[in-house]
Amino acid sequence: MRVAGDTNVGKIRTTNEDSMIVEPAKGLYAVLDGMGGANAGDIASQMARDALHEYVTQRRGSLAPRQLLEAAIQAGSAAVYKASQANRERHGMGTTVVACLIVDPNHVVVGHVGDSRCYLLRQGRLQALTRDHTIVEELVDRGLLTPDEAERHPYKNVLSRNLGARPETRVDLVELELKPGDRLLLCSDGLYGYSSVEAIQYVLGSGDAPDHVARDLIDLALRGGGGDNVSTIVIEAPQAAPTASTVVKTSGAMAWWQKRQRFLQIAKDRGLPKNAIVRGLSPDEALELVGLSLCQAIFHDLEKSTGVNVWTFAQNLADGWFERGGEWAAVRSLMDILGTCARVCVDEVRGSDAQLGFLLDVAVSRALVVAELALGGLLAERLRQVDSDLIELQSVQHGLADQAAATEDPDSNAQWVDRPTIPFLRPDRPVTNTGMSEEVMDGMSKTMTIARARTSPRAELVKHVLTSLSKVAGDGGGNFATAVLEARELYGVRPVDDAGVMPLFDALDTARIISASSVHQIQATEATRAKVLLALSTAHQRLVGACTGLVLEASIPYSERLRDVAAITSEMRTQVAEAEKKRAALEREHAVNIDSSLPWGSRGNTEW
Amino acid sequence: MSDVDLVEAVSVLRDEVLDTQEYGDRDPPGSEFFEALLRALTVGGDSVPGLDLTLHDAVARRLAWGDSEEVVLSDAELVFDRMIIACQRAFRDPADQMVVIEASTLVAVTVARVVSMAAVARASRDRAARLREEMAQRQLREVLEKQKATIALLESEIKDYR
Repeated sequence: MRVAGDTNVGKIRTTNEDSMIVEPAKGLYAVLDGMGGANAGDIASQMARDALHEYVTQRRGSLAPRQLLEAAIQAGSAAVYKASQANRERHGMGTTVVACLIVDPNHVVVGHVGDSRCYLLRQGRLQALTRDHTIVEELVDRGLLTPDEAERHPYKNVLSRNLGARPETRVDLVELELKPGDRLLLCSDGLYGYSSVEAIQYVLGSGDAPDHVARDLIDLALRGGGGDNVSTIVIEAPQAAPTASTVVKTSGAMAWWQKRQRFLQIAKDRGLPKNAIVRGLSPDEALELVGLSLCQAIFHDLEKSTGVNVWTFAQNLADGWFERGGEWAAVRSLMDILGTCARVCVDEVRGSDAQLGFLLDVAVSRALVVAELALGGLLAERLRQVDSDLIELQSVQHGLADQAAATEDPDSNAQWVDRPTIPFLRPDRPVTNTGMSEEVMDGMSKTMTIARARTSPRAELVKHVLTSLSKVAGDGGGNFATAVLEARELYGVRPVDDAGVMPLFDALDTARIISASSVHQIQATEATRAKVLLALSTAHQRLVGACTGLVLEASIPYSERLRDVAAITSEMRTQVAEAEKKRAALEREHAVNIDSSLPWGSRGNTEW
Repeated sequence: MSDVDLVEAVSVLRDEVLDTQEYGDRDPPGSEFFEALLRALTVGGDSVPGLDLTLHDAVARRLAWGDSEEVVLSDAELVFDRMIIACQRAFRDPADQMVVIEASTLVAVTVARVVSMAAVARASRDRAARLREEMAQRQLREVLEKQKATIALLESEIKDYR
């Protein structure tokens, strides 16, 4: 149990009438605030203090704590009363007292008379354990004053009880079970009279050592005016043994963070900068972007016992990579490297501190599992997307089959049945690039390398086309599936206008020119070059055809919508014509039978 | 490259590539693309796509005469495919083959580009036409409202008279 006390005369008074008992050996702590004529206040408080201390020292083992404290305070009161009666000049002197007797580390008794207070700070919340013995407070208790009225009452500081006014006084006692980390504050009115309860709560709950807190509370009262003597005693119950999660949050997080350079070094040795995800970055940039980010994410998650940072890290890493068309293998490889680095670092911590290492191992493993879960969620999401795309494709195929059946039906009245408009799906196209020799494949690879090198770094779309071109050219299936897939990748989402479509065709043309001229630069026989050019040209033509098919496909809805809208307009025109006929007939009837003076069409003739 | 006159050599392949015997006196589908190939070989080598205005005209004419974009594109692809096969057989010199392949590719992708531009233009026209139709519908809706009001008034007065 840590205890500290402090006292100060204040800024106005010349003598300190407060007295204190700080006796850890006997478990006795008290604050006394004396009052009375010249020099009598300090004598009263000291006299009571001595009597109290002596009584407890002599009777500690013979009385129960509660009775002991009450009797000790009574003894103090008797001593002061006796002294005041003996000396005329000290007549009327007295003192308040708030005393705390520690029974055992978990059990205390608090007794008080007057307006010195005891506060309990538990889990950050401040609570008064004592109730001031003032006239106003007793009027409030009896319901004769409201708390607001009491605050403004001129006699709010006039005590209803103290030590010394009578030989015996009534002592209020509180027994309390202390919990780990609880703090008790004994103080005179010089503290709470010159500082707010919120400020006291803040200082007491700061986590600083009790001696600092006691001193800071005195400073607080002095900054608030220091109009009275001020005394404080801070008693802190023993802290609970740190839990595993506390150790991880503090020492674990710190140990992890101190290992970050080591983590980056291992990541570098394991080839993290060579991973496809960070290709194009310098090794330092790659390590910082991926390695350090994971270190930070794990550190923050350890500190807060969450997994949100690691989850976000893994999701951002993989999502960005997949968005760029990256493959899963690169993510797997990167996560394996990062996992290995983490394990090595944790093992090193375990080597120096087995217990901390064990807890850190569990926590870091949890973080890595969270990262894997995030990746799993992402993959599941992508699988769902592929699934729905397949279902959509399937339903489109069924729709096309239904339309074809409807077209073949001579009785069908469907006027606007669309034909399949994707020319690259024509089944009778010859397969021209099957069975390419290894030599041709090699030549094609060299050609594409040269072509990529000749492409401007900023021409992203051209580079994308070149990649697609090599995939289509390398596809020996001859079923155009690769061309279609690559065309869809290239096409993406584009508006059907010049600004949307033409850049794609410009890129396709640029890629064609670059790849065709690159063929002439490879080291190969003329015949091989011709075969490479043939393969690339065929692939290029398929790719362009597929892209054009997509443009045509995208333009169809405009025609369909126009047809639908035109049909509705036509229907409306018919309705208007019929309504006009009806109106004309009614006007004619009205003119004949009711009012022939009105000219034809003068009754709201429609204008259209 | 051999001394073969490529324009003349490719011209010889006309019947094979366009399958002219199927069409008699009529121009076989895709003949304009074959002509474009010959022109490309005449100017020689690569050229900026889209410069062949005659090819543009030919495609525009076919579309104007009612051929769909898909049909035009399909014909161009057919000519390309057949030309590639024919040229591998007809030209022994790989350099000659390469020139013809490049020219054929140029023609095929130019047609694809022109067809795409036509589709984009058609989509724009359809979009504008739909807008006009929707505006007309709004006016018609107002007219119908007025007509309904007039008819209701007349019917009520005639009913009272009866």
